[in-house]
Amino acid sequence: MEEKIKQIKEQALNEIDRAETGQVIEELRVRYLGRKSEISQLFSQIPKMDSADKGKYGKELNILKQTIATALDEKTGTFGAKEEKIDLTLPAASFQKGTKHVLSHTTEAICRIFEDLGFIVYEGTEIENEWHNFSALNIPLEHPSRDAFDTFYLDVPEKREGKYLLRSHTSPSQIHVMKKLKPPLAVISPGRVYRPDKVDASHSFMFHQVEGFCVDTDINFAHLKGVLLHFARRYYSPDVKLRFRPHFFPFTEPSAEVDVSCMICHQKGCSVCSQKGWIEILGCGMIHPNVLGACHIDPKKYQGFAFGMGVDRIAMQKYGINDIRLFYENDKRFLDQFDEV
Amino acid sequence: MKFSLNFVKEFIDLKITPEKLCELITSAGIEVEQYEKIENDWVFDVEVTSNRYDWLSHIGIAREIAAVSGIPVKVKYPKIITTPALKHKKIIIKNESDCPLYIGRRIAGVKVEKSPAWLRERVEHCGVSSVNNIVDITNYCMLKWGNPLHAFDYDKIEGDIYVRRAKKGEPFLGLDGKERELVPENLVIADHKKVIALAGVIGAKNTEVDEHTKNILLEAAIFSPVVTRRSRRLTVETDSSYRFERRVCPEYVEIASSHANELIHSFANGTFSGYAYAGKKPKERKKKIPLYFGHLEHYIGSAIPQKEIKTILTHLGFSLGASSKTKLDVNVPPFRLDVDQAVDLYEEIARVYGYDKIPSSLPSIKNRMPVGLYDFKKSLRDFLISMGLQETVTFSITSQELMERLQQGEGINLINPLRVQENMMRTTLLTGALDVIKHNLNQQTHNLEFFEIADIYKKQKDGFKETPSLAIAMSGGPEKACRLKGMIELLIKWLNIDMTGFEPDARAHFTNALKVSVEKKEIGFFGKLDKKTRDGFDIKEDIFFCEIDMAKLAGIKKDKKMKTFGRYPAVTRDISLAVHTDTLFKDIEEIITAHAGGYLQKIEVVDTYRGENIEKGYYGLTVRISYQSQEKTLTSDEVDALHGKIRQAITDRPGVQLR
Repeated sequence: MEEKIKQIKEQALNEIDRAETGQVIEELRVRYLGRKSEISQLFSQIPKMDSADKGKYGKELNILKQTIATALDEKTGTFGAKEEKIDLTLPAASFQKGTKHVLSHTTEAICRIFEDLGFIVYEGTEIENEWHNFSALNIPLEHPSRDAFDTFYLDVPEKREGKYLLRSHTSPSQIHVMKKLKPPLAVISPGRVYRPDKVDASHSFMFHQVEGFCVDTDINFAHLKGVLLHFARRYYSPDVKLRFRPHFFPFTEPSAEVDVSCMICHQKGCSVCSQKGWIEILGCGMIHPNVLGACHIDPKKYQGFAFGMGVDRIAMQKYGINDIRLFYENDKRFLDQFDEV
Repeated sequence: MKFSLNFVKEFIDLKITPEKLCELITSAGIEVEQYEKIENDWVFDVEVTSNRYDWLSHIGIAREIAAVSGIPVKVKYPKIITTPALKHKKIIIKNESDCPLYIGRRIAGVKVEKSPAWLRERVEHCGVSSVNNIVDITNYCMLKWGNPLHAFDYDKIEGDIYVRRAKKGEPFLGLDGKERELVPENLVIADHKKVIALAGVIGAKNTEVDEHTKNILLEAAIFSPVVTRRSRRLTVETDSSYRFERRVCPEYVEIASSHANELIHSFANGTFSGYAYAGKKPKERKKKIPLYFGHLEHYIGSAIPQKEIKTILTHLGFSLGASSKTKLDVNVPPFRLDVDQAVDLYEEIARVYGYDKIPSSLPSIKNRMPVGLYDFKKSLRDFLISMGLQETVTFSITSQELMERLQQGEGINLINPLRVQENMMRTTLLTGALDVIKHNLNQQTHNLEFFEIADIYKKQKDGFKETPSLAIAMSGGPEKACRLKGMIELLIKWLNIDMTGFEPDARAHFTNALKVSVEKKEIGFFGKLDKKTRDGFDIKEDIFFCEIDMAKLAGIKKDKKMKTFGRYPAVTRDISLAVHTDTLFKDIEEIITAHAGGYLQKIEVVDTYRGENIEKGYYGLTVRISYQSQEKTLTSDEVDALHGKIRQAITDRPGVQLR
């Protein structure tokens, strides 16, 4: 064994000394240090030795390996002057970049703009009861205004606040926050919502909304316009125009639907805006005094605005996604396309 | 709802282009879906919000146009005649909360025939098909006043008229030709023997007005919105039910009925011959709302001139009472039951004044809201992406069948699912992960690495629990197991936690699952889905899956403080071992840790080998140990001594041999 070690050492150092190219060095590295090398074979004899020898030769073999490795490295260092050529026409390595889902990305981007203004994010729960989803929001239990909020009911025993259901909008977040905390409040609340809509290219029984509201002693309709204009300018483009159209929501008064000027055709008329030049993006209004009252906030002292928007629709418009089902299919070829972080 | 411009012009002298009209009413809140020219008329299809029942009438639309254009409306009201009283028939309302008022007028000697051209045009342009002069007149009055009317063939009514709930199973053949079995949710109009109308929804074939009809009974009523709504949900939605559901103006019940009576006299030769009613006639209500100009300005953020406020309200049909510099009393007309408090008036004023004229300004935002889990989720998402994972968003609703297949017994059912494929809330994110992996493998995309952050929902003794969770799922070969474990360790390290515990976890559908614990608290698990389960989903690659409770994960996060790191060089030594396949790496790791005397920097596996030259039941394992001191450079002798001890300790353990 001792003999063998000595012999390998001499031969190896000699050959390394004579080597002239990096390629030769790498061949030597494989020959002397690789898995099939003589040294490896010697290592494999060790378990059969008696314990005194085991220690001794184990150590010597390790030193031998180290010595050869050092010599190889040193020799490589001397080749510095003449770099080897590499073929950069070889195909590039492929990388898998992590990707945020486009709905998350859109939600975060929307929330971020409001966060920068001083809003704080609150995420409510998806399982709700009738009081939070309807009654406290001034939506009577049996009323045509509830048609827009058809709802999945859940098999959970009913309690004082009515039947349990999957929230049909993110507006119950207003109620949760205002019941717990007194104004001033500025909250933005993203999340999943559910409605029993038959699935097609533009409907899904699960989709996403972002709700926002702001309550203080002096928050007015002009502030609502200002905050939403700020949002639209940041999210779409600095020269975007907004149109506030009167509308009806039970939980706001006055209420409005908001359109942005079509950024595709610049209001010349195109298929995205159905030739109207405007694209509807959200609903909003001044929080109805009955809603504040339901949360024990005095509507004589406090007033505020609220708004809600559909994340899926905004993402579809922005990225030209023509089928809502693509979001939930999670095809890798779809996910790969939206890697904005 | 469709309205005709010619129809509207009966009440307002309008001389603007349809384009301009479209723009005007859109800005006031009547959204025009589309408008088109029909003959010499323009027809507007508009969206009417559920609060504005008055917009379901041409008079209501005309008032709105008056407000936005400044041209007043002229409405001619009919003369109301209530004598003689109807003989031989009584009207009996069983429950006045179902039907507060029911008026019947007998009109005799009618000549039922085709409508004159003007009448046909009015109803047809609004999307109502023309039937005959009688039916068209009732529809014309509905389109004009907003109050649905119905005409029965008087001679086909046997005995008195009842407004009552249907008996279970009572048969009903509607004017739409459809046979239905009624239930007690249905409010009906009945005579002594049979049901003659589904109240507020549709009339019955048995009392239909046709060319043989001589005498008619003209119905005008108020039906409960809730009752109409429930009833039509079980049957059919009609122009009538649509209006009753949204309320009708009580004051117009008598007016619409009288107007129809006049028209039937003029265009069908009928003679009014009897009047009866049941229920309560509307009392003259005086709804007065004080409007404070200062508060309006505080609320809207803009000072609207008082003169303009008064003009707007007047055009909309409100009458103005006492006024001072600061306050104006506003009387609400009967056709605006939706206006109830000051903010409702603010909306009327602001929208007609023009939302676009209200300035935009940014408030100074003060906040009592504390930060929640969102920020953590957001940074977690960024962290997972930095490891190359792709985020997915999958459905929270799955099928009970799948939940049972995965032995998840605590799922919450949906009471009204759309399909059986989505009838239960998921108790694990695994359902979504399997869907996504299956879909992508079917699309020939392999080596998938996904994550999802979403809630899971479990039934509990006294309700339910909704838990925000994180799942990571990978498909591929066995090497993914260590990759997933590495990600979990890095995740815990990112939260600035030193120790992660992995304890064996007997979990259905997983082989060799491990619990992930931090400081003895279990936060989740990971493992390989067993072959039987993935075969059940027809998935051909191995699936590695990890699920972690998000709230617990956020809870263990520790603030970061700089830790010193060793600047002295590390020395590495390799050990080649033959390890029995029943021996866990963990056992070898523990021996090394115990004997390294605090100089252990890390342990790596540099090679594993299975095959020839190795005893049966064993596999080759080469471990690289790095030794490092925080205080000095370790000498070769020191390291050799340590390494020797470790080698000795390892050989002492059964199932491990030096190679």
